[in-house]
Amino acid sequence: MRFYLRLALDGMKKNKQLYKPYLLTCIGMVMMFYILSSLSFSPAIRSMRSGDTVSLILILGTIVIGVFSLLFLAYTNSFLIRRRNKEFGLYNILGMNKWNISIIILLETLITALFTITAGVLLGILFSKLAELFLMRMSGAEVDYQIRISPVGILMAFIVFGAIFFLLLLVSLARVRLSNPLSLLKSEAAGEKPPKGNLLLALAGFVILAVAYYFSVSIETPLSALALFFAAVIMVIIATYLLFIAGSVVLCRILQKNKSYYYKASHFVSVSSMAFRMKRNGAGLASICILATMVLVMISSTGCLYFGSENALRGMQPYDMTATVFMDSGKYCTSESAETLRRIIFDKTQGKETNIAAYSYIETFGLLENGEIDIDGAEENTTNPSLLSQIRTIIMIPRADYEQLTGSRTELADDEILVWSSGKPYPFDKLTIEGLRTMKVRDRLSDPPVRVSTEDTIVTALIVVIPDWDVIVDELDKLDDELGSSFMVRQRIAFDLPGIDAEEDRRLMDSISDAGNEQIEKDPDCGWVFVRTESFLSTKNYYYDLNGSFFFLGIVLSIIFIAAAALIIYYKQLSEGYEDRARFAIMQKVGMTPGEIKSTINTQILTVFFAPLLFAGLHLCFAFPFVEKLIRLFGVSNRLVLILSSLACFLVFALFYIFVYRGTAHTYYNIVSTSERE
Amino acid sequence: MSILEVKDLKKVYTSRFGTQKVEALRCVNFSVERGEYVAVMGESGSGKTTLLNLLAALDKPTAGQVLLDGVDTSTLPEKNIASFRRDQLGFVFQEFNLLDTFTLEDNIYLPLVLAGMNYAEMEKRLKPLAEELGIAELLKKYPYEVSGGQKQRAAAARALITEPKLLLADEPTGALDSRSTDELLSLFAEVNRKGQTIVMVTHSVKAASHATRVLFIRDGEVYHQLYRGNDSNEQLYQKISDTLTVLTTGGEIA
Repeated sequence: MRFYLRLALDGMKKNKQLYKPYLLTCIGMVMMFYILSSLSFSPAIRSMRSGDTVSLILILGTIVIGVFSLLFLAYTNSFLIRRRNKEFGLYNILGMNKWNISIIILLETLITALFTITAGVLLGILFSKLAELFLMRMSGAEVDYQIRISPVGILMAFIVFGAIFFLLLLVSLARVRLSNPLSLLKSEAAGEKPPKGNLLLALAGFVILAVAYYFSVSIETPLSALALFFAAVIMVIIATYLLFIAGSVVLCRILQKNKSYYYKASHFVSVSSMAFRMKRNGAGLASICILATMVLVMISSTGCLYFGSENALRGMQPYDMTATVFMDSGKYCTSESAETLRRIIFDKTQGKETNIAAYSYIETFGLLENGEIDIDGAEENTTNPSLLSQIRTIIMIPRADYEQLTGSRTELADDEILVWSSGKPYPFDKLTIEGLRTMKVRDRLSDPPVRVSTEDTIVTALIVVIPDWDVIVDELDKLDDELGSSFMVRQRIAFDLPGIDAEEDRRLMDSISDAGNEQIEKDPDCGWVFVRTESFLSTKNYYYDLNGSFFFLGIVLSIIFIAAAALIIYYKQLSEGYEDRARFAIMQKVGMTPGEIKSTINTQILTVFFAPLLFAGLHLCFAFPFVEKLIRLFGVSNRLVLILSSLACFLVFALFYIFVYRGTAHTYYNIVSTSERE
Repeated sequence: MSILEVKDLKKVYTSRFGTQKVEALRCVNFSVERGEYVAVMGESGSGKTTLLNLLAALDKPTAGQVLLDGVDTSTLPEKNIASFRRDQLGFVFQEFNLLDTFTLEDNIYLPLVLAGMNYAEMEKRLKPLAEELGIAELLKKYPYEVSGGQKQRAAAARALITEPKLLLADEPTGALDSRSTDELLSLFAEVNRKGQTIVMVTHSVKAASHATRVLFIRDGEVYHQLYRGNDSNEQLYQKISDTLTVLTTGGEIA
């Protein structure tokens, strides 16, 4: 047994060029996995205001890391085994049977698993506090500095990664069992067919990419962006693979046809070996490109969500606090009921409220077409992207409330209305709500009578001032039964509370809704169904918890993806280095100067390396309109912040990429420039 | 004047920590005249390959000089050596050393492209050469698609297309079957007849018997040489065999 152990350890030591980065990646993945899983169950996180949501997001992240680790480690493991086939073949010929070799592999896997999981968990314990502090800070929660060790996290890390390594072991053993010694010895076969560029596939890739890009620049509303986003993502992925695998070879072939370009010392070797290189590496490079794009889109969008929330929150909660009473159908707000609500609030705030806006309203939504609102149609067609731009939220306000809010008198006949629309002005002369009579637009208001979100967020809002409120409420009530939808009349009082802090805000919110519920119990006939209070601060806290943890998760997953991309690149350089060594030795004999060899190598590595980055940048640019509209679904619309966060992400990523490039190019050049004679 | 002069050439390989020294070449002296076809013979380990590496400036001598057309290759600065090699020397190797990512045509063009020649000029040079070597039909094929003999002829074309002062061949027939060997040897004789100077390292008697002069190397020294004179290939073959017999049995040559 000691003999096998020594062979296993020696094998890993001899291949340290392969194993060192592999072990590091394993440790990194275990560490990230432990951090996320321990945070998901951390009492500190649970005690946050939206702890349940945050921990759910983290659990999702943990699952993503687990699955990704399995796929990625399977890939690297198969690479390692392939590289070491020759060694195992030699053992076999020297008289070891497959059973003996299996023992060596078993020991190696065991050592790797124990070492990386233990190291990963230890580092995870060390860094999880840091991650926790980071996460809590980001969501603005209070922090403590007590270090916790999560038994659940440790257990999960050992179980999940133990299972992953067990699967890897099975794969490696199967590979050794299925091979014969001769094929083990003869690892890399010679006589590779020259790549034939498939023009059709290349064109298909180009067209698919163009269509996906077109989708992106042509979409108009956030909801249609949501509907098309996944289609576009899949198209971009397919197109990237096609372009990298087929398109690159076709490009090389076209360059080769151009004699005066091709037969130049600086292009000759690069272009021809590039064709071969792309044939072998197209898929790998496309994967790197996709990973990079995912990282960039993820970080820039979650970053924008996080940093851009402030504005959006004002859009969602234009007042510091609102109390809304939902009225029983058939009842509409009397001045008495409005007065009751007013008294409750005044009682609780003790007169601290300012900028008070009190009004009743009915809210519904429908498809707007030629001045007609189709309520049924809207409910049926919410998933039809082509109709999404016609959806309107309609807020109806009685004339009396409008006059009180604005302090102005209005001249409105019974069939006349005032209309305000977010975004573009209302384009029609009349408005017909399904089943009701047609109303003429007397005037288009330039400002909304109450503060509403002026951002063009998800759907366009219409505010309609109605002269004969009682009639409309009755008519809508009848519609209720026909359409099966509910037009609840709501009584709302919105107000600002200058200088309020989070704690007082929370207390006030609770006490107002408590008082409202008391009122309902005391006087069941008042027509109140329930009272809802919302406040700017509570919404803000919720969103910071949510967006903060999304951003956090984005960063953690990005680190993993980047590490994976770096390792793929490193292994590529390594295996290519060995293959190219003989080639460059020949070129040197034929009269290529070391300088020329170096510059050829540089051209090739640069292209192979930076093509994915370049494409990722392009994808990011074209994803921009999509992302911009998608984050509007979260209420954030801030182009500048998104541009800045995308730019910052790209720069940081490119820097990191260059860093990896320099490290691996060095390894590659070392391999290529040492002669084979040693 | 001789095109190649080798004076007191010595090469000692030292192991990494200088504990062991191996003397590959002790003291080699010979010269090659323009238009000569010289075969260098010797057993494995006699220093043949070391000699060739020194002639090609792929390695630096411990002592002594290699003068090619009067230029001492060991004094050339590192950055000029590659272009010197490219412009003055042509190589044919046992393992062909064709690049598998190039067609035969592009393999042959490689040294010219590196020298910065334009395409029209290259094409003009290739045409007659390809005809002469019998590979005109194969130019668009990749190395893995053709036979060993064809590969070696392509490699010869690559060596000759630069019109080198000296063609260096390292066991050029080592990986070929007998028919391809004959074809290649008659080809070499043909280009030599047209004035190409050739130095070929080999341990094949048959290959050496096509040369105009044969040098024998043993234990790092030129031990003996034979001139063809008016001998036919067969007669020279017999003389070489006899010499080798004497050499290997350890006797002295009269």
